[in-house]
Amino acid sequence: MSPTAPPLLAPGERLVMLVGAYGSGKTEVAVNLAIRWARAGHKVQLADLDLVNPYFRSREQQRLMESHGVRVVVPPGNLAGADLPIVLPEVIGLLQPAPDTITLFDVGGDEVGARVLSSFRPGLREGLYELWQVVNGSRPFTSDAAGCHRIRGELEAATRLRVTGLVGNTHLIDETEIETVLGGLRLVEQVSKESGLPVRALGVMEALAEDPSLAEIDAPVLRLQRHMVPPWLTPATDGHAACTSENQPAPRPRPIGVPPRLRTQDARGERDGIHPD
Amino acid sequence: MTKVLMKGNEALGEAAIRAGCVHFFGYPITPQTEVPEYLVKRLPEVGGTFVQAESEIASINMIYGAAGTGVKCLTSSSSPGISLMAEGLSYIAACELPCVLINIMRAGPGLGGILPAQSDYHQATRGHGHGDYQLIVLAPASVQEAVDLMTLAFELSETYRNPVMVCADGMIGQMMEPVEFPTEGRGEPMADNDWALTGSEGRERRIVNSLYLSPEDLDAHNRKLKAKYDLIAEKEVRHELYGETESPDLLLVAFGTMARICKSAIDDLQAGGAKVALFRPITLKPWPYAACREAMDLLPADAPVLNVEMSMGQLIDDVRLAGEGSRRVEFLGAAGGVVPTPEQVAAKIRELLP
Repeated sequence: MSPTAPPLLAPGERLVMLVGAYGSGKTEVAVNLAIRWARAGHKVQLADLDLVNPYFRSREQQRLMESHGVRVVVPPGNLAGADLPIVLPEVIGLLQPAPDTITLFDVGGDEVGARVLSSFRPGLREGLYELWQVVNGSRPFTSDAAGCHRIRGELEAATRLRVTGLVGNTHLIDETEIETVLGGLRLVEQVSKESGLPVRALGVMEALAEDPSLAEIDAPVLRLQRHMVPPWLTPATDGHAACTSENQPAPRPRPIGVPPRLRTQDARGERDGIHPD
Repeated sequence: MTKVLMKGNEALGEAAIRAGCVHFFGYPITPQTEVPEYLVKRLPEVGGTFVQAESEIASINMIYGAAGTGVKCLTSSSSPGISLMAEGLSYIAACELPCVLINIMRAGPGLGGILPAQSDYHQATRGHGHGDYQLIVLAPASVQEAVDLMTLAFELSETYRNPVMVCADGMIGQMMEPVEFPTEGRGEPMADNDWALTGSEGRERRIVNSLYLSPEDLDAHNRKLKAKYDLIAEKEVRHELYGETESPDLLLVAFGTMARICKSAIDDLQAGGAKVALFRPITLKPWPYAACREAMDLLPADAPVLNVEMSMGQLIDDVRLAGEGSRRVEFLGAAGGVVPTPEQVAAKIRELLP
């Protein structure tokens, strides 16, 4: 990204809620942001508010996030695996995080998934929250700017909140090429121009993040590791990109229930782009 | 053609439209709900019909009616909902009506759980409802294959005038992968035929019926159906052989998500020189017995077959039938939404290899 690109989080911003079309990558972005900010030394708490779909939710990476010091707020015990609309009372408390804490809300897809936020509307004043729309141009219904605007309208109506920024996250998982990313950048820039909303981040898979064509872009680049994977692939656990192809043998994950290897030090010192104070 | 990133459930819905199906009747149940959620948005765009029925029993009987009029139609559910469809499906098969149904399997029995399983294998392949009828059952192992098999499902249902089930586990339904669709836009409707109920003005009336009060007539009807199922078994078996396909020391048998996990295990073990093959039935009905037996015959005399399932042992019946007692068939399985990991499969393979 351009040396003059703004930081991922501006001074004073403490509450970031991610919404978007179904399957736009909110959870992957949320888990990456949580770990990134925690590793940069911040107190981070993440609430998994996906009430509509029991698969591929951020709570699946609870242990990984906790190993990085993230506080993860999910229903306890067996209820975490249920497709029940459970909102813990403590989530209300997260709406006004302490000055040294960043709160992330990972919300379910489409207006159906985002509707849970409308119940927090009385506690949310404009300027005190960030509501970012995650956009993947490779998904049905959001392949063009008109589709993204339509989804945003539905999200805003359902949440009774205003979207405040955009996160470009166009990808095709392991078939993502730099052209896919650049096409997604053009899309999110067009949505930005037409809506007046800023592009708050451009999500780019780790393997493509150093591509020279991204060197001068205006938006902050969010380097993404793949954590949400089906059971035959290895999730990223320790700062290295996951094996993303069936054809490339890689170390396999531990059986379910064994905590991921703890990261002992932050080798990359990834503090670029985040200056919440 | 540009690839799009889709969930298995969404891709199944879109593939149906590309195959020319614009009539959907269904009822929500986790983990297949994205099929109706996707179609309720897309079908109005292509002039289709979407009805959320009051139950799965109603859904399948709406399919019975729609299929009787000679239109391509689809319903979708997950395990308990599929159970509710048993009676209607038997009627549809008896009347030789084409339709496609999707089962995104979840863990059972009973209300069970909402995580992936393959424990409806017997239900899908052993008749499901009452009477001597058979489904054609197709089992995708990727989102792209889900698309391809939906296209095939509509072709087969029309060719044989028989219900076809696309049977995937919750993981295939819920995961996202890039996919390409073979055709653009809404596909062609069903060709004109001489059995559909389209209004009898100006022609002989047609009757769709499964009631035969004469035992001789019903016997003849069953013989006719059996001849059709035999023809399907002869012509429509599909399978894949993966890994060491020349002279393996061990043969895995698995389908759907479990086959993907077995492939990962094989890839990992190949680095260490282990020679392992995977036999993956793509048609669960008709089952590729001959091809599986051929794969078994690649093994040394005493080498075992390892059957891996997300159930307590159902596919294993067909593996044993294929081997006709010639092979020791070992079993690795899990239930309840627990998915055996590539390590667990690899460990079991190491235990069995000489």
